Amino acid sequence: MGGVGMIWLAWRQHRKQALFTLVGFAVLAALMIPIALSMRHTFAELGLPDCVRQMAQADLSPATRDTCEAGFHRFTNRYGSLNLVAVLLLILPMLVGLFWGAPLVAREVEQGTHRLVWTQGISRTHWALVKFGLVGAAALTAAIGYGLGMSWWVDPLTQAARQGRFGVIVFDLQGVAPIGYTLFAVALGIFAGTIWRRMLPAMAVTLVGFAGLRAALAILVRPHYLPAHTLTFPVYGSTDEPSMSRGDWVLSSGVRDAAGKMVLPDGGVMCPPGASNPHGGACGADLGIGPGAYNWQLYQPAGRFWLFQGIETGIFVALAALLLYLAIRRIRRIA
Amino acid sequence: MDMVLETDQLGKRYGRNWALRDCSLHLPAGRIAALVGPNGAGKSTLLHMAVGLLRPDAGAVRVFDESPYNNTKVLAEIGFVAQDTPLYRDFTATELVTMGGKLNRRWDAALARTRLADLGIPPNKPVGKLSGGQRAQVALALALAKRPRLLLLDEPVASLDPLARREFLQSLMGSVADDGTTVLLSSHLLADLERVCDYLIVLHAARVQLVGTVDDLVAGHRQLVGPRNGGGPIGGVAAVVRASHTDRQSTLLVRTDGPVDDSSWTVREVTLEDLILAYLAEGDTEASHAEWGVSA
Repeated sequence: MGGVGMIWLAWRQHRKQALFTLVGFAVLAALMIPIALSMRHTFAELGLPDCVRQMAQADLSPATRDTCEAGFHRFTNRYGSLNLVAVLLLILPMLVGLFWGAPLVAREVEQGTHRLVWTQGISRTHWALVKFGLVGAAALTAAIGYGLGMSWWVDPLTQAARQGRFGVIVFDLQGVAPIGYTLFAVALGIFAGTIWRRMLPAMAVTLVGFAGLRAALAILVRPHYLPAHTLTFPVYGSTDEPSMSRGDWVLSSGVRDAAGKMVLPDGGVMCPPGASNPHGGACGADLGIGPGAYNWQLYQPAGRFWLFQGIETGIFVALAALLLYLAIRRIRRIA
Repeated sequence: MDMVLETDQLGKRYGRNWALRDCSLHLPAGRIAALVGPNGAGKSTLLHMAVGLLRPDAGAVRVFDESPYNNTKVLAEIGFVAQDTPLYRDFTATELVTMGGKLNRRWDAALARTRLADLGIPPNKPVGKLSGGQRAQVALALALAKRPRLLLLDEPVASLDPLARREFLQSLMGSVADDGTTVLLSSHLLADLERVCDYLIVLHAARVQLVGTVDDLVAGHRQLVGPRNGGGPIGGVAAVVRASHTDRQSTLLVRTDGPVDDSSWTVREVTLEDLILAYLAEGDTEASHAEWGVSA
C-alpha cells in the first residue's frame, strides 16, 4: 500500500492518456525528422556550414560573401515556410497543460471520484504528491525531448536566417526553456482545476493564463533579465556595419546626432567616404544627419543565450512550484 | 456506552450561509442510524466532516475519540459511500477491488469478491456500463472490504428504483448485523430507512431537530386529538411539536414527560413517519420569510 499503490492507481487511470501522448509524439517525430534530415542535407549541399564559419570572420572577400548570400537565400526560399511549423510547435507545452494538468484534479471533482479515492486509507496530500510527481516527471521527460529535438530541428533555419537563437520564436522553442514552460503549464492546469473544479473552465483558464503570461514575460520582461549593452559606430567613414551576423538580440536601434539626441529611430545609416545622397547633397543630410552623428544599438549579446535560457526556465519552474504548493493547499479544502 | 461519533456545536459555513449549525449529537456503537432531512439540510456536510473530507468551521466532531480531518488513522476505520456512489467508470469491479487493496492497510478482498459474486456483478466489465443498482452494490462492497467499524452512506439509494433499493438495504443489513458495525445512512426519504434503522437523527435547515433511538422517540411522543385548544398547558405534555386546528378540533403532536390523563384528549401512539414530518414542518422558515419580504 501507500506509494506503490498510488503509482499503480495513477498508471491505471492515465495509461490510455499516456498511450495517446506517446502516439502523438511518435507521429510528430515521424513527420519532423525526415523534414529535418532533408533540411540539413540541403544546408550542407549549398555549402552553408562553411559560409556560417566565414561570415563570422571580418576579412571576408566580396565574392565569397555574394556566393554565401545567394546560398542562404536559396535555402530560405525553400524552407522558410517551416518557420510557420515552428510557431505551431510553440503551443505544445500548453497542450500538455490543458490535457494533463487541468483534468488531474478537476476531473476527479467533476465526477465525484475524489470522495472515493480520498476516503481510502491514504491522505490526500500523499495522493496529490504522487500524482503531481508522476505527471510532472512525464512532462519533464517530454519537455527535455522536445527541447533537445527542437534545438536540432530548428538550427539550420536559424543559421540561414542569421538572427541568432534569441529570436522571439526560436528562443522559446529550444534549449531548456520548454522545460520551464511545460512544467508551468501542467502546474497551472492542476491549480486551475483546484479552483474551478470543472474540466472546461480549468482548461480555459489554463489556456488564457499560459498564453498571457508567456507573452507578457517574453515581450515585457525578458529583454531586461540583464542590463543590455550599447554599441555605437560612426555614420561617416565606415563601410561595414560591425558583425552583422553575430546573433545578438537587438532591442532598439537608431541614429543619434553629435549631442546624443535620437534623430532617426529604428534605423541605421552608413556613409562610405565621399558618398552623397540621391539629390546630390551630403550623405544623410536629408534625414537630418550631420557631422558627428553615430549609429546606436541596444542589445543583449548572443553569448548570453544560455544564461537567458536559464533565467527564463528558472522563473517558470519557480512559478510551477508555487502553483503546485497552492494546489495542495486548495486540495485540503475540497470535499 | 461507547460513542462512535460525537459532535459538539459543530458548524460548517459556505460563504455567509451555514450548511450546518450548532449540531450536537452522539451516535452510540452498534446502532443503525438514519440521518433524515430534506435536500440541503446539511446531511452531506455532516457526513463529510465525519469522514474527514471537510474541516469544521465551528465546534468539533470526533470519531472514535479523534478528530477525523486529514487523519488516516480514523479513515482506516470508516467505510464511506458518497452520494451518487462515485466510481472510476472505466475501471472494472475487479480493478476497483485491487485498487482498494493497494490504498488500504486493512483490506478484505475476499469479502468484496464474494459479495460481488453473490450479487451477480460482472467482474470484467467497466463499472460505468453497470446499472445504477449494481454500481451502488460495488461501492458498498468496496466500503465493506475495509472492514470498517463505522459505515457512512450518503443517500446510497436515492438514485435506485424501489426494487434495487430494497435489495441494497437488505444486503447492507445482512452484512453489518454480525460484525456490530455502526452505520449512519442519510436519506431524504424516510420510507427507505424505517425498516432498517434503530436510531434517528433529523436535520432540517442546517440544525439538528431530533436525535435518539427510534423506540425512545416513538414512546416519548403522542398525538392528541380533542376540542379546539387555546394553548393552555396539558398534564403530561412537555412540548407541542406541531399543532393543526380545524374550527372545532385540534390535533397536536406532543413530546410527553408523563402519562397524558386529560380525558378531553384522545391519545394516540405516533408512527416514526408522523414524528419526522412533524419535526421537519417545525423547521425554521423565518429566514426564508425575511428573504421574501413577507411576514411569517
